[in-house]
Amino acid sequence: MKTLYFEEVEEGDELPPIDLLLTKDFVRTYAKTAGMDFPRFTDDEGARQEGLPGMIAPGVLSMGLLARLIGEWNQAAQITRIGTTFRSPVLPDCHIHLLGFVTQKDAEQHTAECDIWMENDEGERWVIGTATVVLPTRNS
Amino acid sequence: MALEFDRSILGQVFDETDFPPVEKADLLQFADALGETNPLYTDEAVAANGPYSGLVAAPTYVTRLRPKKMTPEHMPRFGKVGFDGGRDVEIFAPVRPGDRLKMVSTIHDIYEKTGRSGSMYFIVLRNEITNQDGQKIAIVDHRIMQR
Repeated sequence: MKTLYFEEVEEGDELPPIDLLLTKDFVRTYAKTAGMDFPRFTDDEGARQEGLPGMIAPGVLSMGLLARLIGEWNQAAQITRIGTTFRSPVLPDCHIHLLGFVTQKDAEQHTAECDIWMENDEGERWVIGTATVVLPTRNS
Repeated sequence: MALEFDRSILGQVFDETDFPPVEKADLLQFADALGETNPLYTDEAVAANGPYSGLVAAPTYVTRLRPKKMTPEHMPRFGKVGFDGGRDVEIFAPVRPGDRLKMVSTIHDIYEKTGRSGSMYFIVLRNEITNQDGQKIAIVDHRIMQR
């Protein structure tokens, strides 16, 4: 298991980015798995009838992907808080980039704060957020 | 000027939902749908030797729990259209296979923000999730934006 200890993490460390093509099938599968298979998340025509330009990804899918970003950086990081703001609808069949970095460490709690976000190829931040993680220590 | 509404609705429980036992297959399927690679959520054998001594749910699994009533019967309306503004999740303990989860939903907060495009109103629905032992699992705050 990929483990980064508290002592090895520095403020300013970048989380290895995840770049992926967010396909409509990926979004549909998530929506069905999460019990959110509403037209706006599964079908372009149904979404247009709701006044949207086409089907969109559920906000909680973006949040889940940002949690995955943290897990791929450090599989032993235990997320105790994650907050996300959905700034813009996420339209699938596009490339997305999940990025983040460590903003602060707390030596007493063995925690790290991270800024995390999802952006498109143009660098527009569609989803922004922060997370708190508890990290293992060499001494425990 | 402060936003005017009946403040007695804050904190009032509008839904209590008991969920059937969490199935291992459901946790694995959820992790797979996110493309998760962390073995704590995807690989029972590796997870058995991990910090939780067993498979647990991916962190945002709690956001897939849907209350019987998604919104209060008399949901306040301040704008013409509503958007999903965001989520804040606080996690206290992992969800494990076999857990029987309970969710209690309230209106936690209502506030107004003024931006370049005018006033926006936020209604925060809070879902508090506990397990069969009464252990607090998570608090999920859902920010609904109206304009």
